[in-house]
Amino acid sequence: MSSQNTDPAAAASTAALKGSEAGGSAARGSVTKRLQQELMTLMMSGDKGISAFPESDNLFKWIGTIDGAQETVYEGLRYKLSLEFPSGYPYKAPRVKFVTPCFHPNVDEQGFICLDILKDKWSALYDVRSILLSIQSLLGEPNNDSPLNTAAAELWENQEAFKAHVNSSFQS
Amino acid sequence: MAAPVSIPSKTWELSLYELHRSPQEAILDSTLVAVSPRSLHSELMCPICLDMLKNTMTTKECLHRFCSECIVTALRSGNKECPTCRKKLVSRRSLRRDANFDALISKIYPSRREYDAHQERVLERLSRLHNKEALSSSIEKGLQEQARSRGQRVKKPTQESDNTTFSGGEENGDAHSHLSHDSAPLPQDPAPLPQEPAPFRGPLPQDSAPLEAGPSSKRPRLSDRGSSPPVAEGGSLPRRLREGSASEIELVFRPHPQLVSCQEYSQTRYVKTTANATVDHLSKYLALRIALEERRSRQVEGEEVQEEGRGGGSSLTNVSEKQYTIYIPTGGQFSTLNGSLTLELVNEKYWKIRKPLELYYAISKDQPSPSHNPPTPVPSPSNNQHT
Ligand SMILES: [Zn+2]
Ligand SMILES: [Zn+2]
Repeated sequence: MSSQNTDPAAAASTAALKGSEAGGSAARGSVTKRLQQELMTLMMSGDKGISAFPESDNLFKWIGTIDGAQETVYEGLRYKLSLEFPSGYPYKAPRVKFVTPCFHPNVDEQGFICLDILKDKWSALYDVRSILLSIQSLLGEPNNDSPLNTAAAELWENQEAFKAHVNSSFQS
Repeated sequence: MAAPVSIPSKTWELSLYELHRSPQEAILDSTLVAVSPRSLHSELMCPICLDMLKNTMTTKECLHRFCSECIVTALRSGNKECPTCRKKLVSRRSLRRDANFDALISKIYPSRREYDAHQERVLERLSRLHNKEALSSSIEKGLQEQARSRGQRVKKPTQESDNTTFSGGEENGDAHSHLSHDSAPLPQDPAPLPQEPAPFRGPLPQDSAPLEAGPSSKRPRLSDRGSSPPVAEGGSLPRRLREGSASEIELVFRPHPQLVSCQEYSQTRYVKTTANATVDHLSKYLALRIALEERRSRQVEGEEVQEEGRGGGSSLTNVSEKQYTIYIPTGGQFSTLNGSLTLELVNEKYWKIRKPLELYYAISKDQPSPSHNPPTPVPSPSNNQHT
């Protein structure tokens, strides 16, 4: 440990962090609790256009869906995503990727998503709901300056052609 | 220790609101200020663990609150910034203990343990939900069977008796009806448990306990005595955990004021049901009731009702939970309820705000449901044809 903090509270939470990194059961309990809270909120909120639910009885792996927003090239299409939560969640971002192939400037062929809030801009305050909503808006507003899929970035200019391509290649 | 260099570089960015605000006048008399349970609850919640604040720490500059453990862990594992607003947090020195806030919380929730126990029960029930697919589908089969046999009895509307599952008419628009899962293969308690007074009708005056989630008012029998030790809570816990099969929920069921015109199904329905029924069950029950009522009114008008024929049978067996959407009023608007939630969960979540539970319904819009399944077009009962 590099910490020289002598504050007992800090020491206690250092232990908690260590536990979470090692997948300690106490920390895992608090991750579980947080994920349950999120699930509850999602179920209660009834958001249109996004959904998420644990894949099986493993609370650390969820399947989410995003409906393409209206008046975007993705309108009418429903995309499936997987979310995997590390034991350090919510201090560490979940691994999120598209399961349904998604032709988009910031999504690569394996479905990985280039989105700052899933990387360096992650905050413990983000949750499944805000992630899915962010990805939903990323669909309609890609960042074409640093594309993962250059072909998609180039085609984006031509919305009609883009939409035609998305629709013809879509496989749910 | 700290270099004075950092002082001149410090700038205060005041928002427009901060520049123009004027101080709240202090309340010096005995005026009571009502705070909505929801907003109060969100004030007391840690945005990281989504639980009630524990050993509150407040950021010195932006005044955002977190549990001590949560914020320290966040600072160690991520960016050195406030998780809420991204203001730089150099170290733990950018935080201060907020003992006043801890005191406030313990004033409002005298028994933290009770609160935690309540939370755990709610979450436990939730976590069981997603293992229940098989169970609920068998419940649905049971409901369908009942619907079918019910359909055969419709011929004699006067014989509707109150001990069948979908009983109770709303002839006066105001009768009580009962929805139960008698035929469903749920684990039933062999010996009926001692009757418990309806848990949601506590003797508490409306505003005495303003919080959403404090179990003290949830279980008034325990906390009103004040002297009851936590043992009493623990003693009743195992029974509550048994799927709540003994508990019932009463709810008031009204048409959605904006989505349903007042001529249609205008009556208010009072429904009493087992707490483990889900929103889908309720929805299906409603669809069935309305289908039955329409059938009956057609009979009155002299139309022929085919008892066993395709038409007659299908109008009742096609009844689906997708036909109606159930809403809960939340702070002036209506939120859709997910079909797989048990009414007990809904009630736990909103119990302090609505007592008894108040739900609204409207015909589902022709939109893909938020579920993963492709939407199945279901004829709404009003245009169900008898052919
Ligand atoms: Zn916390
Ligand atoms: Zn802040």
